[in-house]
Formats: sequence, structure tokens, C-alpha cells
Amino acid sequence: MRADTSILSADAGIALSTERLTKVWGSFIANSDIDFRLPVGARHALIGPNGAGKTTFINMLTGVLAPTSGRVFIGGEDVTADRQERRVRKGIARTFQINNLFPGLTVLDSVLLAILERKNLAESWFRPLKSHVAEIEEAMDLITDLGLEAQAGVEVKTLAYGKQRLMEIALALASRPRILLLDEPAAGIPAGESSEVFSVIARLPSDVSILFIEHDMDLVRRFSQRITVLVGGKVLTEGAPDEIMADPRVREVYLGESAHG
Amino acid sequence: MASNILGILFDGLAYGSLLFLIGVGLSITMGLMNFINLAHGTFAMAGGYISASLSQRSGLPFLATLPVAFVGAGLFGLVAERLLFRRLYKAPHLDQVLFTFGFVLSSIAAAHYFFGAGQQMGVMPSFLQGQIRVYGIDLGRYRLLLIACVGLITLALHLILSKTRFGAQVRAAVDNQDAAAGLGINVGLIFSLCFALGTGLAGLGGALGIEVLGLDPGFPLKYMVYFLLVVVVGGAGTIRGPLIAAMILGVFDVAGKYYVPQAGAFIIYVLMIVLLLAFPTGLGGKRA
Repeated sequence: MRADTSILSADAGIALSTERLTKVWGSFIANSDIDFRLPVGARHALIGPNGAGKTTFINMLTGVLAPTSGRVFIGGEDVTADRQERRVRKGIARTFQINNLFPGLTVLDSVLLAILERKNLAESWFRPLKSHVAEIEEAMDLITDLGLEAQAGVEVKTLAYGKQRLMEIALALASRPRILLLDEPAAGIPAGESSEVFSVIARLPSDVSILFIEHDMDLVRRFSQRITVLVGGKVLTEGAPDEIMADPRVREVYLGESAHG
Repeated sequence: MASNILGILFDGLAYGSLLFLIGVGLSITMGLMNFINLAHGTFAMAGGYISASLSQRSGLPFLATLPVAFVGAGLFGLVAERLLFRRLYKAPHLDQVLFTFGFVLSSIAAAHYFFGAGQQMGVMPSFLQGQIRVYGIDLGRYRLLLIACVGLITLALHLILSKTRFGAQVRAAVDNQDAAAGLGINVGLIFSLCFALGTGLAGLGGALGIEVLGLDPGFPLKYMVYFLLVVVVGGAGTIRGPLIAAMILGVFDVAGKYYVPQAGAFIIYVLMIVLLLAFPTGLGGKRA
């Protein structure tokens, strides 16, 4: 195991990795000994039935949750002890599966905040938001890219679900991440609009490494190069989409899930 | 009779201004971290003692002691937050209540030891004594100063929160702490600054209010419920809600004590129960 770690740290081709990542609540093991690697530029899907521990895993990658044991590396650097905002500065960004992220802020203000944090302009804390002209321009470009320009001045709580998902992606992109974690980016969106979200994701620069949780197997097949299957907090298997779809164990898990409703 | 009512209204607004000035910081910090803080009055008391000591012992003019009370109480708050309060953000609410209540009791003992049990007297400059007659109503100069100060501070707070980047960071963190940190915002630092600002304003309120609220070691306990009512009725995480709540509280408290002195604070509590039943999340509250 130790030898494996040193290889991991030396490998420049790995954007994000974990080593025996484990999260335990009381007697409930949410994630158990997860070893995971996300190569640079990957389009990697994380699938599994409800309660498999997918969101817990993402939360430990971003620092929302502290692991019970195990370690997280960004580009070979151990970030297990880093708080969330420090990991953001090291290149990781995510979407939350939450509606009304910042209900009281406008779309433009939310994106602008993320850009200002990336630029780390400490001296501008007490300047009016409106005075950051260059950053507002950048935010508007990003908002326009995602087709939200008509909603820029609107408070987030009034946005339709699909638009909220797109705004979350805009927020994540505003930090210019090297690693993007998407927790069900198309959740709650009418089927017709979900491919709109994914086509935005597909247009992202190829050096951005993406890990996404998605239930729609059709979207997973179309947008991922590799799939990890999580069941009961453990990695069941990992492989190319065709292998995974053909794996009888995976089929059993998914058929079992649909049989339970 | 009419001028009497207007006089009481005026006194009530002045009293409410003080309650708001002290309580607003509590509203912001409770909204940010969902942290139950009973010890906010301790920082108001600290500001009061700083002002009283400076004017009594060093002969500093009253107005000049106010900025010192603001900065002193804010620094005290910053240190207390970094060393003590910070450890309890994720703790159960009962732990928070017990800890902050213990903090209040310790601060009472400390104030007793250093300043004695007696009431402190503010040294009011002569131009703040007496009254001005406006349209037949006598307005106390000192109370006018209170209302003016708090009006200016409220305006400044509003501009900071609604226009600046810091304000947007605070609003984002109040809405969703994890998502705010996900944008790269240093939520811990934002909270420390809010705590320092809030306790500083409380200290300023404690200093400004010596004439109205009095100042003795029992201060944080005596007014604890009032500050909490301002936040609970007004709603945590905003400034508009606590402003309205403080004014209602101030006016009805003064009017109650004038017209039905035998009922004491009873009127306030009944009013607050009614308001809470009508607005369970607070007058301007973002969440319950």
C-alpha cells in the first residue's frame, strides 16, 4: 500500500485520487476503503443505487466532510487536512444538489463572488461589488456561455430548476477548476433540458478533469469514458462504459433497485 | 396628552435604538453559524465599562470614549471568538447555551472584581443635557443623539451588507455555508469579522446607553432576554427585522412602564408571544 502511494504522488497524470477513504457514522459505514484515481482530462461517472455513498464520497473530496480515515490527494498533494475553500484554491470545484443555493443573491452577484475569490483580491473586500468592472465582464461572459444572460440580474430563488442547475455549473466554472465534481447536474430538470446541461459540460476544456454522479444511464453512456460503481459504500467495479453495462453484478444492482421502486 | 404620547414614543424609539445597536450583531452571527449566544450582553457591558472608566479616570470626553468602546469591545469579541466560541459552532445547542451562560456568569464576577458592584455613572457633557423643544414636544438632547447615531450606523450597515463584496460574502454564507465555502469564500474569517463587528457595535451600544440602560455587573443578565427577543422576533441573519423588533420592543416597554407600571415587563412578553405566533420565523427572518 505504501509503495503504491509513492507512485501515486509522483504521477503527474492523476488529477485527483484517494487512498483507503472511509467515512463511518456510528455503526453505519457510508464509505469503506475507497481507492480512486481521476486522470487529468477524465470524464468519469460515479454510479450506484441510492444510499451507496456517492454524495458522501464527493463531500470528502471537497472537504465538506472530514473522513474517518484515509487520504485525499489533489495532483499528488495530500489535502486531507485542508478546509473546503483551500481545496477550491487548489483547483477543485463542485456543484451541490441543492435548489436555491443563494436565494438572496442575484445570478450575476453569485458568479461574481466566485470570480473574486479566485482572484483573491483581499483589498477589495469593502469595495462595492459594482466597482469590479473587469470581473463583472468575465462573469457576464460565463453567464452568457451558459445561456443565462436574460436572468443575470434576477434573484436565484426565482429561477426555474433547469436554470438553477446551469447557474451552479457557472459558479463551479467561475473558479476555473482543474477538477470539476458534478453531483447529479441534471437532477430535477425536465428530460429535454438535461442534455442541454450535459452539452455545456461536454464543451468544457479537455484538460479539466470531471467526475459526475448521474442516475440516467443513457447520459452516463454518452458522456463518460470510465465508470466507477459504488454499492454499500464500497467500489463494486470500475471500467469502460461497455464493460460496466455488460457486467452482470451491475445489472443485478440496478434491476434490484428498480424492483424496490 | 398628545404631546405626552409623542414624548413616550420618542423615548421608546431612543430605547429601541439602543436595543437594536446591541442586538444587531447577535442577529448576524446567529444567522451565520446558527450559534446560540447568550453572552452578547457581556460585550455591551465591556464597552460600557471602557467608556465609563475612560471618562471617570482619564477625564476623556464622553464622545471620545465611544470609538474606544467600539474598538475595545470588538477586539474582545474577536479574541473570545477565536479562542472560545469557535469551538462550539458544531456542538449541540444545549452545550452552546451552557457555555455562553457560563461565560456571562464569569463576566459578571470579573466586572464585580474590577469595577465593584455599584452603578457606573456616565459623565455627560453639558451640551447633551437638557431638552430641545420641537413643535411643542420636549426632546432630550441625549436621546436625539442616540437616535441619530443608530440611524447613521444602520444606514452604514445596510450599505455594507447590500453593496460591498464583504456584504455579498456574508449574505452567501448566511444562505448556505457549505456552498459559500465551495465558491472559495473563507467562511471562518467572515464569521470572525462579523463577530468582531457585532460585538463592537454592542460595546458602542453599552457605552452610549449608560444613561438609559444603566451599567453594573448584572448588565448582561438583566438585558439578556431583551437582546434575544430582538433577534428572535426580528429574525436571525437580517438587519431590517431586528430594527423593527427593537423599535416595537422599545416603544411598548417605555409605554408599559409609564401607563401600567405595576405590570412591569409583562406587557413586553405578551407582545412578543403574540408577534412570534403571528411571525414564527421572525419579522424579517430568512429561516426559522
